[in-house]
Amino acid sequence: MSDPVPLTTDHPVRVASATPPAPGRSRRLSDRWLAVAFISPALLLLLAMSVFPLLWALYLSFTDYSATRGGPAHFIWFGNYTAILASAQVHLRALTTLIYVVGAVSLQIVLGFTIAYLISRRTHGRGLLTTLFLVPMMLSPVVVGLFWRFMLDAQFGVINSMFGSLGLGQVEWLTRQRTALFSLIVVDTWQWTPFIMLIALAGLTAVPKYLYEAAAIDRASEWFRFRTITLPLVWPLLLIAVLFRAIEAFRLFDLVYILTSGGPGVSTETLSFHVYKVAFLGFNTGTASAYGILMVLVVIVLTQLYLRYLNKLKED
Amino acid sequence: MRYPTRLGRLSVPRRKVQLAAAAMLVATTMAACGQDGGAGASAPKAPATIPELTKDPLTLSFIWFDWPPAHALEAFANAEYAKERPNVTVKVKTVPNANWHDAMFTQFAAHKTDFDIPILDSQHIGEAVTNGNILDITDFVKKNIDVKAYNPYLLAAYGQFPQAETGKRDENASLYGLPLLGDTWTMIYRKDLIGDKPPQTWDEMISVAEKCQADNPGVSGLAFHQANGSDAAAVTYNTVNGVYGGNLWDSKTRKIEGVLNDAAGQEAMDVLVNKMKPLTAKGSGNWFIDEVNAAVAQGKACIAFNWIAASGGLLDPKQSTLGTTREQILDKLGFATLPSQKTNLVPLGGMGMHVSAYSSETNQAEALNFMKWFEQADIQKKWAAAGGVPSRTDALESPEFLNAQPFNKVYTDSVPRMRDMWNVPEYARLVDIENTNVNAALNGAKKPKDALDDIAKEQQGVLDSSGRKGGGGL
Repeated sequence: MSDPVPLTTDHPVRVASATPPAPGRSRRLSDRWLAVAFISPALLLLLAMSVFPLLWALYLSFTDYSATRGGPAHFIWFGNYTAILASAQVHLRALTTLIYVVGAVSLQIVLGFTIAYLISRRTHGRGLLTTLFLVPMMLSPVVVGLFWRFMLDAQFGVINSMFGSLGLGQVEWLTRQRTALFSLIVVDTWQWTPFIMLIALAGLTAVPKYLYEAAAIDRASEWFRFRTITLPLVWPLLLIAVLFRAIEAFRLFDLVYILTSGGPGVSTETLSFHVYKVAFLGFNTGTASAYGILMVLVVIVLTQLYLRYLNKLKED
Repeated sequence: MRYPTRLGRLSVPRRKVQLAAAAMLVATTMAACGQDGGAGASAPKAPATIPELTKDPLTLSFIWFDWPPAHALEAFANAEYAKERPNVTVKVKTVPNANWHDAMFTQFAAHKTDFDIPILDSQHIGEAVTNGNILDITDFVKKNIDVKAYNPYLLAAYGQFPQAETGKRDENASLYGLPLLGDTWTMIYRKDLIGDKPPQTWDEMISVAEKCQADNPGVSGLAFHQANGSDAAAVTYNTVNGVYGGNLWDSKTRKIEGVLNDAAGQEAMDVLVNKMKPLTAKGSGNWFIDEVNAAVAQGKACIAFNWIAASGGLLDPKQSTLGTTREQILDKLGFATLPSQKTNLVPLGGMGMHVSAYSSETNQAEALNFMKWFEQADIQKKWAAAGGVPSRTDALESPEFLNAQPFNKVYTDSVPRMRDMWNVPEYARLVDIENTNVNAALNGAKKPKDALDDIAKEQQGVLDSSGRKGGGGL
């Protein structure tokens, strides 16, 4: 039996070079070059598919380039950025996106945590229940959008049919300003509440049992135990889930595209949907690139602020 | 104390790695930049004579949106064109209607297409020609097509750029396409509910629909396109605008503000939102072709408006609750040309076929040959019999076409009454502005007058923004 290979050493270079190459391997192909050879495909892919498009979009954002019109790209420096930041159309979409993000994420947190809390208290069938609750999350947003579109149809949809059975009137879920945005929030909540539930459930399972036992000995009430043990211990984990969901919701495109096409009028057009229109209806590639870069910047800045708050919370 | 170092840590000079990465980025950037060097594009010319065709197996690809005529075209072409060119297979690639423009123009932007014959809406021609995406076939048409066999406006609408004046063709203008499928709106009415005679004026149509709705609980007076996707709500407003004597723009001065929202335009918007919309089903604010057809087929509408080319399914007993046979359905459904009011204009629909500038020369030659074959008199009649809507006058007046479907005569009668939208490179943005605002007015998100004024202002902004520095498209 051969000796185990040491994971660390005080003389790494000497040890590495002292290791004889495997039989059949060229002496020139050292471990270092072998490592480079192995990671370079992934690095090249990353450079080609992520880094280059990002830098290219950054470059285009300072130009008046159009992908279909062709011709050279003229530098207009911050012209696209100032136009976007000053545009009333963009402000309107930003407000819609904000309402959507706050509405959807808040609802998902409340529902997700409640479901996780209820499931965590069960001893039997917890696995099955968790799996069932996770089903919506596994579906494609386009599929979810399509079947909710049918269900929410004012004339033929099952939701209005149920309302009719209860003696309630027809609701125009997708064609009225207020109900359309509300419908989007409901559908997104239906699909993504399980994500919050899953993370909350992980947090709830990790709470040490002895804390509850100690609280029980002290005859602490259920509410007291929840407020002083459960919530403080799960809260940091929930905040990370909020961060993920908020970033996702900020980029919402698919559900809007399928359910409302941004309507009625532009009342459910989110920022991402608007970027799509700028990019592909008029092929204003420069403007769309600047719009995309600004959205990335907003996410980065807000995430940084949020993470600082999260770290502060942990330190406290 | 010495800290342990991980085994096998790379000692490849970091600078080398950084230099290699930077070099790759620069190289990729140069490659990307190199694609669009040079000045603005213009449409390349197709040869006047069709080059020699290949004898090898070849697939001729079209791109269209997913609807019955697309499937009919593929079946028809593979059955008939194969008799002349047995080595050719025709493939009609389809995309959802809402993605149709994007699917074609993103490929044009890449200067590489997986289709040879893009089927463009008449209003897309300006964008494609200006960007050099399709071939100029003027010389080819002169040598191979009998232009006198067509209503001049149909030939102009599906191929000419700059856009023709309504009802005319400029014989000196270049042609970039040939008609593939003609289309316009038909009025579909319930003979069993409102009688055999269709309403003749728009005002009469509204009052008949109103009475029908009152007399038949559960059936709405009207059904028409209101969605904010594609050109749905925009075509509806443009139709009413035309009927009430309005204009979409002054093409010579490129003026929209003050033209679209003049008194006639305001009246049209008022009629649409305040007189027609209350007669539609609740929640119909996102209806387009399929939803209108569904309402008719389920007996939920007294009068409906839809594109002729999409109306075939209405006579299918499997899809209808109006009868168990085609005859029973036809006892209840009637098809008529649109009612007139101050004018008798109807919307021009349909599409032309064009040749991608990025196809191989072999495929371009085959595409030209297909177009020449397709525009022959006997082939146009066969296309009519197969469910297509031809454009040659002899085919439109032929029994093959007139007897094929009950609504085909509506098309033949409507040809001299057609009006198109704007055929300019900015079309996609103009139609989006109109769609979203008309949809907002129809669904109570905007007052009708505000919506029309916003359309005029925003569309004028798009036409005037060519010299703008930054923010184009917002």
